[in-house]
Amino acid sequence: MQITEIFKLALEAIRVNKLRSMLTSLGIIIGVAAIILLVSIGSGLQNYVTDEFKKLGANSIFILPGKVEISAAGTSAQSVNKLTFALMNKLEQSKSPNIEKVLPFIEIFVTASNRNNSKVTRLVATYNDYFLISDIKTAEGRIYTQSEEKSSKKVAVIGKSVAKDLYKNQSPIGKQISLSKKPFTVIGVFEPQGSVAGVDIDNAVIIPLSAGRNLTGTDLVNQVLVRTTSTENIQEAKKDIEKILLRTLSEDDFTIMTQEQLLSSILQILGVLTLALGGIAAISLVVGGVGISNIMLVSVTERTREIGLRKAVGARPSDILTQFLIEAVILSLVGGTIGLLIGATGSVLISAYIKSSVPLWAIFLGVGFSSLVGIIFGVAPAIRASRLDPIVALRYE
Amino acid sequence: MTPIISTKNLCKYYGEEDNITKAVDNVSVKIDKGEFVAIIGPSGSGKSTLMHMIGCLDKPTSGQYFLENKQLVQFSENELAKIRNEQIGFVFQSFNLLPRTSAQKNVELPLVYAKVGAGERQERAQNLLAKLGLKDKFLSTPAKLSGGQQQRVAIARALVNNPLILLADEPTGNLDTKASYEIMDILKNLNKEGITVIMITHEADIAKQAKRIISMRDGKIVSDKKILKNKKNANYGNI
Repeated sequence: MQITEIFKLALEAIRVNKLRSMLTSLGIIIGVAAIILLVSIGSGLQNYVTDEFKKLGANSIFILPGKVEISAAGTSAQSVNKLTFALMNKLEQSKSPNIEKVLPFIEIFVTASNRNNSKVTRLVATYNDYFLISDIKTAEGRIYTQSEEKSSKKVAVIGKSVAKDLYKNQSPIGKQISLSKKPFTVIGVFEPQGSVAGVDIDNAVIIPLSAGRNLTGTDLVNQVLVRTTSTENIQEAKKDIEKILLRTLSEDDFTIMTQEQLLSSILQILGVLTLALGGIAAISLVVGGVGISNIMLVSVTERTREIGLRKAVGARPSDILTQFLIEAVILSLVGGTIGLLIGATGSVLISAYIKSSVPLWAIFLGVGFSSLVGIIFGVAPAIRASRLDPIVALRYE
Repeated sequence: MTPIISTKNLCKYYGEEDNITKAVDNVSVKIDKGEFVAIIGPSGSGKSTLMHMIGCLDKPTSGQYFLENKQLVQFSENELAKIRNEQIGFVFQSFNLLPRTSAQKNVELPLVYAKVGAGERQERAQNLLAKLGLKDKFLSTPAKLSGGQQQRVAIARALVNNPLILLADEPTGNLDTKASYEIMDILKNLNKEGITVIMITHEADIAKQAKRIISMRDGKIVSDKKILKNKKNANYGNI
């Protein structure tokens, strides 16, 4: 029997049982849509992280407190922070020819308020070079100057979400904002950055490092970004930093990572996360496959006489096997394609809120996996059909 | 004349040693080309089992079966399927047409498995349906046809791949008297055209229209008679 005839037959059988075929495919539709959607969120997150790191430039080195090991198995860090401001001064004054700029960060959560409005927000205290390096521009007002940094001026550049919640429709420029009950003056609003995986990047306040140090009263920084003079001497710069830090700290007290190292580690974690999400969604595909298997068994039973007749007029067992197998594969493939479209549409729709992108491999995975499900779960009913004894099948009521 | 069908001690047993059912027991029969044979007998006499073995739907437990001098005992499923497709046409009591499928498509079915192209399939199916008086019913589904018409579609399907033998299992069992006689006229005319017809029936007046009657009981042939007809009764009518 020719393959085109078998396809026609299978499509005919599906058309005759429209509702049943649709309900059967629903399991596959949901499974593939879920895989595409979750993977697109995961890969959107990876793209965002990559972009952000790329913005910082390849000549970036990160110093993190404690021994940090980022691997696919998770992040482990010893939490005793020994990165002090005194150490930062030593780095800045090291006169290493490889180090261009040292950017310490204090990053904590504080309550920001204006009159009766208040909001828990992320506070970032660092030098104003951060705006330039991260390519964060102001939508309104200005960033703080070096002299404001030196004089520990209590000025703040705030995100759109903070501006909206605390000042409603008024311009916040020149207005007061209290951070942990200390009064600061808003001098700028930075351009909206959107949100990543549900975290609102615009819910943040950026202040001079010195002002941050006064505000928190801490002597410790959370992380340090070091810019090297060029991308070639990044390893030398790393060694220089290590040498300076090891004068007062032990090897377990800090971790130095280049942009490349940190990025690949984070991407690895996100990759595992994406796969795990996709894998969970794939379980629903298996459930969908069981549905297909079930309905194909019903179909074989229902069409026992038809099978008997086909055998009586000359169908070989392999003809019957192919007929039912193709039917199962079409059911799951059609479901997979519909699921793919739903998932991709969903991904486009949510991209306004959560960064997402559908990678090509997810499309192949979704469609490939669904046809594989069709074959695996279609085989048992198809074999059963092909083995039916024609006499018994013809007598079947 | 060499027989088209020849069996030697053909047996079909069911069940285990203590509880054995001998459905067909040591049947040796020869049927020549162009014969019209009616097999009669009470239910359980083994007539259907014998026909299934002749039609290659069932394999004998022991004995030999020659179809056109070829012995068919050790044949594989696929080879048997090919024989059913090319040499044998089946007509069943309950028609066994595919529901929701047009008369023409039903007739085309054996040709699909014979790998005949769509154009030729259509032509052969339509020619046969027209010959059997169903010219305006090509696209009708079985549900829209009377019993007699359905059986004619089934006969067209049995004939479409030009078989050597037509096997009819109670072809008139589900039909009223008028339709029964119409079907018998068709079978007799086909036989006149040279097709070997083997028919199972339990109706005496239907069996009488064949040229030879084999009666079976308990798996054995108990009588095998040729019917001599005078010319008057041999008027088969026109289709």
